[in-house]
Amino acid sequence: MAELLLSNLSHSYPGAGAPTLSGLNLRIASGEAHALLGSSGAGKSTLLNLLSGLLPASPGQLLLGGQDLADQLPSSRGVAQVFQFPVLYEAMSVLGNLAFPLRVMGMSRRDCRARARQMAEQLEIDHLLERRPTRLGLFEKQLVAIGKALVRPDLSLVLLDEPLTAAEPARKWRLRHTLKSLQRESGATMIYVTHDQTEALTFADRISVMHEGGILQTGSPEQLINAPTHEHVGYFVGTPGMNFLDARIESNVCLVGDVPFGSLVVSPGVCRIGFRPEWAKLAGAPAQTHSGSDWIIAADVISQRVLGTHRGVPFGLVDATVAGARIVTRQPLDEVPSGRAQLHLDTVRAFRQGWVVDA
Amino acid sequence: MRTRPHWLLYLYCVYLLVPIYWLINLSLRDNADILGSLSALPSDPSFANYLEIFSNPVWSSGFINSLSYVAINTVISLLVALPAAYAFSRYRFVGDRHLFFWLLSNRMAPPAVFLLPFFQLYSAIGLFDTHLAVALAHCLFTVPLAVWILEGFMASIPRSLDEMARIDGHSRSFFFFRIFLPAIRGGIGVTVFFCFMFSWVELLLARTLTGSSAKPIVVVMTRTVSASGVDWGVLAAAGVLTILPGLAVVYFVRNHLVRGFALGRV
Amino acid sequence: MRDNRAWLGVLPVLLIVAFSAVIPLMTVVNYSVQDIFDANTRIFVGLDWYRETLRDPRLQSALLRQILFSSLILALEIPLGILVAKSLPRAGRSVGLWLVLLAIPLLIPWNVVGTIWQLFARPDIGLLGATLQNLGFDYNYTAGTLDAWLTLLAMDVWHWTSLVALLAFAGLTAIPDAYYQAARLDGASRWQIFRHVELPRLTSVLTIAVLLRLMDSFMIYTEPFVLTGGGPGNSTTFLSQYLTSMAVGQFDLGPAAAFSVLYFLVVLLLCWLFYTSVMRNRDAH
Repeated sequence: MAELLLSNLSHSYPGAGAPTLSGLNLRIASGEAHALLGSSGAGKSTLLNLLSGLLPASPGQLLLGGQDLADQLPSSRGVAQVFQFPVLYEAMSVLGNLAFPLRVMGMSRRDCRARARQMAEQLEIDHLLERRPTRLGLFEKQLVAIGKALVRPDLSLVLLDEPLTAAEPARKWRLRHTLKSLQRESGATMIYVTHDQTEALTFADRISVMHEGGILQTGSPEQLINAPTHEHVGYFVGTPGMNFLDARIESNVCLVGDVPFGSLVVSPGVCRIGFRPEWAKLAGAPAQTHSGSDWIIAADVISQRVLGTHRGVPFGLVDATVAGARIVTRQPLDEVPSGRAQLHLDTVRAFRQGWVVDA
Repeated sequence: MRTRPHWLLYLYCVYLLVPIYWLINLSLRDNADILGSLSALPSDPSFANYLEIFSNPVWSSGFINSLSYVAINTVISLLVALPAAYAFSRYRFVGDRHLFFWLLSNRMAPPAVFLLPFFQLYSAIGLFDTHLAVALAHCLFTVPLAVWILEGFMASIPRSLDEMARIDGHSRSFFFFRIFLPAIRGGIGVTVFFCFMFSWVELLLARTLTGSSAKPIVVVMTRTVSASGVDWGVLAAAGVLTILPGLAVVYFVRNHLVRGFALGRV
Repeated sequence: MRDNRAWLGVLPVLLIVAFSAVIPLMTVVNYSVQDIFDANTRIFVGLDWYRETLRDPRLQSALLRQILFSSLILALEIPLGILVAKSLPRAGRSVGLWLVLLAIPLLIPWNVVGTIWQLFARPDIGLLGATLQNLGFDYNYTAGTLDAWLTLLAMDVWHWTSLVALLAFAGLTAIPDAYYQAARLDGASRWQIFRHVELPRLTSVLTIAVLLRLMDSFMIYTEPFVLTGGGPGNSTTFLSQYLTSMAVGQFDLGPAAAFSVLYFLVVLLLCWLFYTSVMRNRDAH
């Protein structure tokens, strides 16, 4: 079994100005389902190619099961990869495709076929074995590609590069489920690259959020939702993402647009406060003014969008402005006034230069 | 992915270039020197052979004749092939596939088959020994080719471009000349390349359909060969000069060439 | 869109091709069934000329030589062309220049190709011929049949391999990187990558390359005419040359016309194969 360890890993493409990856540190436990989440250009694919060996070694260290990957050929690393679009040997049958990596390893013809059949059964594509990939649908092709990647018995790491881009939403759920059960059975470590946070949150045990060549935060889905350590994580994870307001701290009181908002034990100075839509609630404004320490502030409601009902009450998103900035809350819609309102917060985080400030 | 050429490519290019190098070498030497000794470098290089070609009206008019019928042929081919290719790529009509096949089959016809009837046809209508005769005869091969290449390029342009232009209210001619043609200019470049490639290099028809006044350069060369006491130096110099127009054309369309080939239209 | 007015667009092409193809072809068919003594004396002979042509031993041997020549150049040019295409860099600024270099032989007038090889291979003034002579080989392409064939093959490979290479290169550049990456992770060897990744994706361009070379080599005339003149003896006389000598040299109009019609039909058959295979590929995508 193989634990993956990246220490201080960097990469620059020749001729490019800024490094694509800079100083990555990450430990992925053996058998973990890990997701790399980030928008395009964040360096996810570069990291993947370094792991699989398609890009030459870079400064820093890559250890898989205690062994340095730098001096191993791509094919001997025990790494498999599934690409965004199904990549298959078009002139071979499905069975031939599934058996090919085994044949290259030198496995006997009979063992190859048996193993390939077993793989096909797990993926429920055993009825397609004699067909040519060109005659299959996109989704079926991707299943074969996944089978081809997972078929090797010596596998210790499986890389999935946005493998579900081509699939319809309904089938995505099924395939993700299949992938998870395969992963649990084989015990292989899986790294799932995606820009879709829903995919990451439902597939992975832990997620690394990547941005501009670095890892901002690694943690369980709950950690990313409840305790983002960087503004970008808060904004990128969650539907919709975190709200931010420009604020100032003066003697442990947080001021937004010179109006006291709530008490916050943080050193004085400028900062940004962030709160998730589900941590906030807009309600009608009572007659008396508030004290300035209870996280209540005046807001203007712009519009609301119904998402569904919760215990018979309509439930959805409310758009509003606070001190000139747009925010969104996620709440029951029965008590939302139109026009002048008050914003109540349960929880709040403060950020400086992007990073969270500990209270 | 390969970003640097394999050594095999260098080897192949040596094979390509050595005969051409030898041609250039001989073109810079006089006949006595050529017959006298074999040397890898001309000991006393001179441009006398080239000067003779430029000063001799037979040679220079040969060049002008060739370039004339190649140009006429290219223009005719493009003019008739553009509307036809557009029709084939955008519409289905009675007999379209059969027609397309029949056109293509002409590209494949052996020129030797048409030798005699062409000679008689053009003699009968008084076009024998004119640039137009050769240009028209070559059209038999270049027009199908032009339709084939242009249709490939046009088919790769989405039909929604036509529809968008119609919705925007552009007239048909504005659309065709200002929007559509610029969109397929790569294809036009490749077509010119192949029309040129056929018309410039062909000998059999050009020789049969010309007498003295429209005699092309390729024929001038063959007649020099058969004359007694061949002047190898002048022949080599003429050969070098016939390579130059081709080089110029391929240089201008080099970026579109691979796309043309990728469409499988050559 | 169905619209028969599209015929208007096709009309100019039809007129020009009808003028330059249909009328001459009718003339040929007309001649092929008559015996012509002079402009006023013609006898209808039916299919006699066809029978005579098919029995003509010189034509049969020209056809055999033609088939041998065409098979040999296909066997040489297709693999070599693929090899050259694989040696080309895929990206970078030098690609354009390499392509220009490869395209040079395709743009040289065919008789100049003959002249270049004549000047290159002649035992007295040619670099190749003289070098071989000095090395002790008794090389003379105007006297030895084998020498003539080897020179002709070297010339045709020189002239046309670039076409195959350019086609194969276009096919190779159309293969997405992911295919190579996946194969490398599978541990596929270079040969396996070629056999299972590249070759299947080259089939359509290679079909075109094979058929183009097959048909064009079936019409070869100019280069052997300049280089060997069909000799020594008739050892390098191919179909076009035989036809030309019959029609222009001996003015045997009837047999020449019958020969032309048969020749045209053979090429038409090849062309039909070409067209259906290309269209099948196209419909499959």
